[in-house]
Amino acid sequence: MITFSRVSLIYPHSTTTVIEDLSFEIQEGEMVLVMGHTGSGKSSLLRLINGLVPHHTGGILGGEIIVDGKSTRTTKPGELAGVVGIVGQNPIDTFVTDVVEDELAFGMESLNFPEDVMRKRIEEALDQVGLAPLRQRTIATLSGGEQQRLAIACALVMHPKVLLLDEPTSALDPIASEEILAILHRLVHDLSVTVVLAEHRLERVIGYVDRILLIEADGKSSIGIPSEILTLTDLVPPIVRLTRELELADVGTSTREVRRITEDLRNNLPEYERPRPQQGEQLVEISRLTAGYEGFTALKKIDLLLHRGEITALMGRNGAGKSTLIKSIVGLHKSESGAIEFSGLPIQSLKPQERSRRIGYIPQEPGDLLYLTTVADECARADKDNDVPAGTALSFLKRIVPTISESSHPRELSEGQRLALVLAIVISTSPELLVLDEPTRGLDYEAKSFLMRELHRLAREESTSIFMATHDVEIVAEVADRTVFLADGEKVADGSTLDVLLASPAFAPQVAKVMSPRRWLTVGDVLIASESTGAL
Amino acid sequence: MKKPFHPLTFWAIFTALAVAVVISDSVVCAALALGGAGFIVLLNKQDGPWSKSFQWSLVAGIYLLSIRAITGIIIGVPRPGKTLFEIPRIHLPTWLPGIRIGGPVTWERLSSSLHEGLIIATVIALFGAANSVTSPHKLLRVLPSRIYQLAVTMVIATSVFPQLISSISRIRSAQFIRSGKKPTITSVALPLLEESLGRAVNLAESMEARGFGQSSQQSRYRPIHYSPRDLAYIICGLATSIVMVAL
Repeated sequence: MITFSRVSLIYPHSTTTVIEDLSFEIQEGEMVLVMGHTGSGKSSLLRLINGLVPHHTGGILGGEIIVDGKSTRTTKPGELAGVVGIVGQNPIDTFVTDVVEDELAFGMESLNFPEDVMRKRIEEALDQVGLAPLRQRTIATLSGGEQQRLAIACALVMHPKVLLLDEPTSALDPIASEEILAILHRLVHDLSVTVVLAEHRLERVIGYVDRILLIEADGKSSIGIPSEILTLTDLVPPIVRLTRELELADVGTSTREVRRITEDLRNNLPEYERPRPQQGEQLVEISRLTAGYEGFTALKKIDLLLHRGEITALMGRNGAGKSTLIKSIVGLHKSESGAIEFSGLPIQSLKPQERSRRIGYIPQEPGDLLYLTTVADECARADKDNDVPAGTALSFLKRIVPTISESSHPRELSEGQRLALVLAIVISTSPELLVLDEPTRGLDYEAKSFLMRELHRLAREESTSIFMATHDVEIVAEVADRTVFLADGEKVADGSTLDVLLASPAFAPQVAKVMSPRRWLTVGDVLIASESTGAL
Repeated sequence: MKKPFHPLTFWAIFTALAVAVVISDSVVCAALALGGAGFIVLLNKQDGPWSKSFQWSLVAGIYLLSIRAITGIIIGVPRPGKTLFEIPRIHLPTWLPGIRIGGPVTWERLSSSLHEGLIIATVIALFGAANSVTSPHKLLRVLPSRIYQLAVTMVIATSVFPQLISSISRIRSAQFIRSGKKPTITSVALPLLEESLGRAVNLAESMEARGFGQSSQQSRYRPIHYSPRDLAYIICGLATSIVMVAL
C-alpha cells in the first residue's frame, strides 16, 4: 500500500536531513506506529505519505514514495484526498465549518460527490465513530475526545485506504484515548484500512500496533514487529522496561502477555508497599470553591488542601473542571463562592508581584511565556523581572538539561527543552507553590524523566508544594504523593496515589495492571520489592 | 429541534428595513426597526461566536451616536433656534467660512445631529442583527458556486477573530502570572503570531488534504430550500419597510 524507496528529506534553510535513506513497505490493513524522540521527523514522515511534504511545506525530497500505485512526487495532496486521510495534532485547528454534519460533508463537496452518496457516507462515518447523536452540534462545543473522533470521521467519509494520525491521544484522558484506539483497531480489522500513527505515549498504543517504525536521532531508522524494535531503543513503555529491568528473556507488549511472563514473580515476591510520605505543613486551603463560566458551573463546592513538599496530581476526564481549578488557584479565574487561602491569607490579598513570586505557574502552552530571541536572553530577562542575581535562571536550566544551547531561539527548541526553559524561569524565584497544567503533552520519555527528576527535587529538597493537572497516568504513578480526582466538577477521590490509582481500572498504570493484585504502580516499586529479598 | 430559516431570509428582511430607515429618515421608524430587530434576535438566539454581533453592533452604534452628538455640538453649521447653552467660540481665519467651532448650541442643532447619528447606528445594528441570527457558514452554503472559494476565504478570515481574542487573553494572563507586571505588546504579539501562523498552516493543510479546490464544481450536502415560512417572513419584512417609507 505504501512504499518508501531510499527516501531522504531536507527542509529549506536547513543543513540537517530530517529523514535519511529510508526504505520500507507497509501492507494493506497494517497498523504501524512511528516512534522517535521529539523533533525526530515523525510528523514529517506522516506528511510525506500524503504529499503535504514537500508540496505544501517545501523541502527537497530524494527517492520515491508510492502510495496506492501513485507517486507523491507527481500527485498533489488534494488528488490523494480519496486515498489518504490525515488527522492532525490539534483537530480543532483543522475544522473548516461549524457544525458536525457540514464538516463531514466538506471534503466530499469539494470533490463534487452527488448528494445521495454524501448522505450515505455521512451516516456510515457518524456510526463508525459513535457521533450520530451529536450530528447537529456546533463543533466548538464538543469535548476533546469528540473532536478527535470527528476528525477521524472526516477522514473516513472519503473512504481512504490509508489513515494517518499525528499524536491522536496526546490531548485525551485515558478513557477517551481507549475509545479512539478501539475505533482504529476496528477500522484495521474490519475494513482493512492501513493506519500509520505517531505517538509518544507508547503505553497507550503498543498493544494495538502490528509493526513499529523507529526513527533514531541521527536520521537512521528501522522497522519491525514491536518486540524486535523495542529492544533497540530507550524509548520504551513501562511494561517493556519492567521485563528489561527484571532481566526476563521475553519481551511482552500487552498486559496479558507480561502477566503470563511474570506470574511466578508476582506470586513469590514479598509484601512491599511504597512508603506513605509525611505530609508537610499546610500551604493552600481551598474551601467550598464554586466556579464556572456563563451559565455553566465547572466546579462545585471543592474542598482541597495542598501541603509543602508534597506533589499532588489532579486527574479527571476532559471537561471535568481541572483547568478551572488550576486557574482559580493561580488567580486567573474568579470564583463564584468559596475561599482560597495561601499560607493563611486570602489569595486575593496577595499583590500581583508577590503572588507571581510565591506561586509559579506553567501554562498548558509553555511557549506563551517566551518572546525573546535567545535562551540566554529569556533567562536574563527572568532574573531582572524577578530581582534575583544574574545567572540564576540559566543555572537552573543547565541543571535540568545540561545540553541546551544558550544561543538557540526559544521557538527552535524541542517541546521538552522549551518546557525546561519555562520551568527554569518559573522556579528561579523559588516559589512555594508550583502549578503545572498538562506538562507532559508531546514529551518523549527522556523529557518526561528530567521533568520528573526536577519535580521530585523541588518537592524533597526545597519543600515546594507541587500541584499538577495531567492525563498522564504514568507520570502520576512515578512522582505524585497524592492524587485528587475530579468528575463533573466534583471531587470524587482524594488520597495517596497508590490508593486512588489502584481503585480505578481505567486510570491504573500499566505496571499496576500487570502486577495486580499486588500493590505496585511503577517499575521502581517492583524492583524494590524484588531487591528486598535478593530473590530473582 | 426547530426547523432553521433559510440563511438569506433574515438578510433580506434586515436589508429591506435598513433601506426603509434610510429613506424614511425618521427617528420613530428607526426606533421601531431597532426594537423589532432586537425581538427577532432574541427569538432566534444561536450559540455560535457570531451570535454576539448584534450586541457588539449596538455598542458600536452607541459610540457612534455619542461621537456624532459631541462633534455636532462643537463643530458645525450654525442653525437658528432655541439656544440651550453656549460654549466659547474659537475664531477661525476668514478663509474658512461656513465652519464654526464652539458658539451657541441650539436645540435644533443637537437634535439634528442626534437624529443623523441614530439613523446610522440603526443601520449598523440591523446588519449586526442579520449577522447574529445567521451563521456565516450557513450563509456560505447558499452562495453561488462561482464565488464559493472567495467566500470560504472570507468566512475563515472572520471566524479567526474570536479565536484571536481568546488567544490574546490567554497569553496575557499567563505572562501576567509569570512576572506580576502588565505584559507589553511585543511580548504578547510574538507568541500570538506564532500560534496564529501555526493554526493557519494547519487549516490550509487540512483543506488541501481533503481535496478543497480539486474540482471546478462543488456539490451541496443538504441544500437549503426556501420554505413558505421564509416567504411569509420576507413579505412581512418588505411590507413593514414599504409602510415605513410611505408614512
